[in-house]
This record gives sequence, structure tokens and C-alpha cells, in this order.
Amino acid sequence: MILKLAWRNIWRVKSRSFVVIGAVTIGIWAVLFLVGYMLGTVNTLIKNSIENQVSHLQVHHNDFKKDREVKFFMDDVSSSLEQIRTDGTVKGATSRTLVNGMITAPKGVRGVQIKGIDPGGEASVTSLDDKIVEGSYFDEKTKNPIIIGQELAEKLNIALRKKVVLTFQDVEGEMTYAAFRIIGFYKTHNSTLDELFVYIPQSKLNDLIGLEGSAHEIAILLDDLEKADAKRDQWQGAFDEAAQPYLVETYREIAPDINLYDSQMSISITIIMSIIMLALIFGIINTMLMAVMDRYRELGMLMSIGMNKIRVFSMIMLETIMLSLVALPIGLFAGWATIAYTGMYGIDLSNYADGLNQFGMSEIIYPSLTGDIYLQLAVMVVTTAILAAIYPAYKAIKLKPVEAIRKL
Amino acid sequence: MSVIKTKDITKIYQETTIPVNALNGVDLEIKKGEFTAIVGPSGSGKTTLLNIIGGLDRPTSGYIEIGGKDLSQLNDNQLIDFRKDNIGFVFQAYNLIPVLTAKENVEFVMLLQGVSTQERDDRVLELLKAVGIEEKANNRPMELSGGQQQRVAVARALAPKPTFILADEPTANLDSKSTEDLLDLMLRLNKEEDMTFVFSTHDQRVINKARRVITLVDGKISTDEYQNQPA
Repeated sequence: MILKLAWRNIWRVKSRSFVVIGAVTIGIWAVLFLVGYMLGTVNTLIKNSIENQVSHLQVHHNDFKKDREVKFFMDDVSSSLEQIRTDGTVKGATSRTLVNGMITAPKGVRGVQIKGIDPGGEASVTSLDDKIVEGSYFDEKTKNPIIIGQELAEKLNIALRKKVVLTFQDVEGEMTYAAFRIIGFYKTHNSTLDELFVYIPQSKLNDLIGLEGSAHEIAILLDDLEKADAKRDQWQGAFDEAAQPYLVETYREIAPDINLYDSQMSISITIIMSIIMLALIFGIINTMLMAVMDRYRELGMLMSIGMNKIRVFSMIMLETIMLSLVALPIGLFAGWATIAYTGMYGIDLSNYADGLNQFGMSEIIYPSLTGDIYLQLAVMVVTTAILAAIYPAYKAIKLKPVEAIRKL
Repeated sequence: MSVIKTKDITKIYQETTIPVNALNGVDLEIKKGEFTAIVGPSGSGKTTLLNIIGGLDRPTSGYIEIGGKDLSQLNDNQLIDFRKDNIGFVFQAYNLIPVLTAKENVEFVMLLQGVSTQERDDRVLELLKAVGIEEKANNRPMELSGGQQQRVAVARALAPKPTFILADEPTANLDSKSTEDLLDLMLRLNKEEDMTFVFSTHDQRVINKARRVITLVDGKISTDEYQNQPA
């Protein structure tokens, strides 16, 4: 009977109930959309970072991370690479020779990181070949080819097929230089890195710095990001066993900013959820207090005829929870539908592309949510309703029947 | 056998700086089956006395016993339970639960008492028949006239099989016909079920039908007379 009474009570003043239901629905929808959007942003960031820069795993000489000097290279990289490529979880693996240097063009000079790459292997890991926006990827035709970022080309004010000179240190610490012809411009979603990285064939760079069959980095792309930790442990163990001084790291260890984004995102999500739920609490308290005050006489009558305080308290609690439970599926569905639609077609932020690209983000954001977020939110909404109901329910049981009856 | 017994009841309201003596030593004994009207001018203490007899308020001093139970021994929660099982209320403004049907209103207190479904159904039917509105069982209060609502209120008051029924100006909002019908109903229930009725009223028609009339003046019983002895 209390259930029936509570259910009917919430429909007594329909407009008031619909305001609460609407507020809770919009609150749920807003939380889902905001969380989905933020997660989509972080996912895009991580995806771009993995695809363009760090891959899932990287192997370096133990000392390379501390001091990125040319001398900290890995010997006989091809056999390690072969072994890694035989693993079924590996989608692609490649080695790179890395040196810092200067690029000199007729109208400018910039500091760059020169990446000596194996064109085939690199394409399997970073899809650099797909990011060429002008010109072409490496081929056999051009002697000393170089691919630079479109952003860098604009800064250097240089066109395709023009020559640039790279200057850097060899393995002995001697300065060396060579001329390269630009065969292509690439563009990723990270304009900062597009200005920094230039790509030349690894064999050429190795010749110039005096490394034969060696490299500074092995980059590995797995079929599943979640396997990164397990594979790191496996290969680290193998290198340790072979007494090779190599360090295997996951993308999170290589790019700690990803962790920062992740943790910042979690904090932001918690803050947003708390603010919205807090606003809902006050909205619900206000409405339920009005409902209690409107029924002051009736509640007094109910207590007069024998409805005890526990039942009155339960009835007000139930009314509030029921209102939220009506709103919950509507809000969840609206949120899910919005996330499903925008997750499929994306949210186009092309107008802000320049700013986003500087942070390594795409201009199209695909919001996404996992099932546990829906569950967490549902629990939060019910908890919020319970918390919000306590004060009005308390007010209801504090009324004195005799005072309420006096108003009859 | 006494249903209600009060001894030297006083009630002082201290809501402002000046205390108001609403009751000044009321001694009263109402026996089972009595049909009693408490009358008096406004401010004479009728409602205060009814509230105290109904366990809705506590006296400042004095002793009150309902069905042999000393009410001063009960805390607020126990008083609610006591009211549920022992006192039937009929209010001036009917005060039915607007979202429940007539049947559900009558059934409500029995549900609080934990009466079984079968017993509830039987009793509701019997009571609605007794008050003559069984055909309105599934109507909500707003679909009923004032007289019909008050009949439902009487049925609700009778439902828990109380020790007595307390009615605060039950005819104040009714027209003459409805007043007549309600009084006949209460008198019939009083006669047939030996139900004790205590009500406050200003209505001379009600006073005329009462068998005992207690007049309060300035918080004291000024007269206590029996009239219209049952046939």
C-alpha cells in the first residue's frame, strides 16, 4: 500500500513531477554526454599518440632514455626484430635510428629530430605512408630522400623536390652533414611533432653516423593495447635473460603525459558528476519539500489515523526514488543514443583544428562510453535521490499531527 | 464500562508570552455505547479536549485513560499505534486520501494493522454497505459529494474496529440532507454495533440527536446532560 500510495502521490501534481523528472533526465544525459566526450577526447589523444609517435611498446638501450646520445644504440637489431615479429600479437614492428640535428633550408634553419626508418617497417607501425599529404613516400628512385612535416615546410618556406642539409653528430661525436631532397610532406594530428620529426632511410643515416646493423629504437604495434603490459614483461624477461642491456617500455611509460591526461580526465569526470548530482540534490530537495508542505494536513491526518513515522518516512523516500527511477531510463537512453550517434559520426571541431592539433588531438572527436559508466551513473542517481529525500522525509515525520489537524 | 476517563485535565498553551488555559481541570467519563456531543462556544476548549482524548495532544497535567490504558505511559510512536488500533477519526473536512479510492481509503488503516486480504475485503464491503456507498467503492474522493466523502470517512474510522469514534464537527461542511443522513448513519452504527461516538459540534441538529451533551465553557465542563435515551 505504501508503494501504491507513493506512486500515486508522485502523479498528483504532474507538472511538478515532470520538472523533477526532466531535471534528472537532463542531468543524466549531460553527465553521459560530457563523460563520453571527454573519454572520446582522451581516446583520440592516446590513439594519435600511439599511431604517430610511441606505438604500444618501444625498446631502447638502457642508457638511451637518460641521455639520448647516438652512442647508446642496440646491436644486431634485425635478429631481435625478427623474434618480435614472430609473436602472434604483433601487428607491426620496426627499428629506428635517432639523432638530433639541424635542418638547413635556403630560407631557414630549425632544430629537428632525424628519424632513420625502414620504410616498410615504419608503414606497418605508424602508417607514415598514409599521412603523406603532398609528394610521395620513400621509393628507390630518389637519392638521399627526406620526408618532412608540412608544418615544418611552411616554417622553412620550402617546396617539394628542394634540397635541405641535415647536420648532426656521428657515433664518434664528430659533426657530419648531408644533403637530402624533399620527396614528401606529411601531416599528423600533432602539429608540434610535425615540426620536429624528419624521416630519412635508416640505411643512409646509419652510414652517415657509422652504425652498421644497429638502431636506437624498436617500435612495436600490438593487435590489442591491453596486451602491452604482458608483452613488455615477456620481452624484458627475454632481453634480461640474453644479458642484453635493453629496456622495454609501454606507451604509458614512454609518454607519461597519457597517464596525466587519464588521471586528469578521471578527476574532471568526478568533479562534473559531483556538480551535476549536487545540483540535482538541491532540485529534488526543493521539489519534495514543496510536496511535503503542500500535504502537511494530509500527512498529519495519516499520522493521526495510525501511519507511523517509519511508514511516513518510507513513503516520502519512495516517492523521491520513484521519481528518479522514472527519469533514470529516459536519461540513460537519451545519453546512450547521443553517444551512439556522435560516436558513429563524430563531433566536428574543424574550426578549432589548429589549437587541437597542437595538443595532438584530432579535429573530429568520437565520444565513447563503457557499460560501467552507465552502471556507476545509475547507482549515483539512486544514491542522490536517497540523499535528497532524507531532509523532506525528516521534515514530514517532524510534523505534529495535532498542529496539522488544527489546520483542517 | 468506561471507554474514556479523564481526571483533572489541564492544558496550557504557552505559544505567546501570555499563557492560555485551554482546559481547566476537566473530569470526564464516557462509557461504551454512548453517543456524546461536546458543545460550547468558540475557544471553550472543545477541540483541545478532543485532541487530548484522541491521543493527538498531551495534557499539561491530569490523567487520561482510554480503554483502560494510561496514555501518559505511551511515547509518540506508541501513541500512533494506539490511535491506529483504538480510535476512529472523522474530520470536519473529511480528509480522505485523495489518491486512493473509497474502498482503498477504508482499507488503509487495516493495511497498517496487517489485517489479511480476505478479512480486509470482507470488512470493506461490509462497511461500505453499512454507510450506503458500496456502488462508489472505486471512486476517488473528488468524484464523491461531501456527504458521500463523510460516509467514507465514517467507514474508514470504523474499519480498525476502534474503541470509539472521535468526530470533530463532522457535519460542519454538509448540507441539511447530508447532515441528516450522516446522523442517522452514526446513530444506527451506535445502536447496532454499540459503537461509542464522541463529537464536537456547533450544529443544533447534531446536538438534538445526541444522547449526552457536555457543555464546555472556558475550559471547564459547565453542564453534562443526558437526553434522548435510546429506545
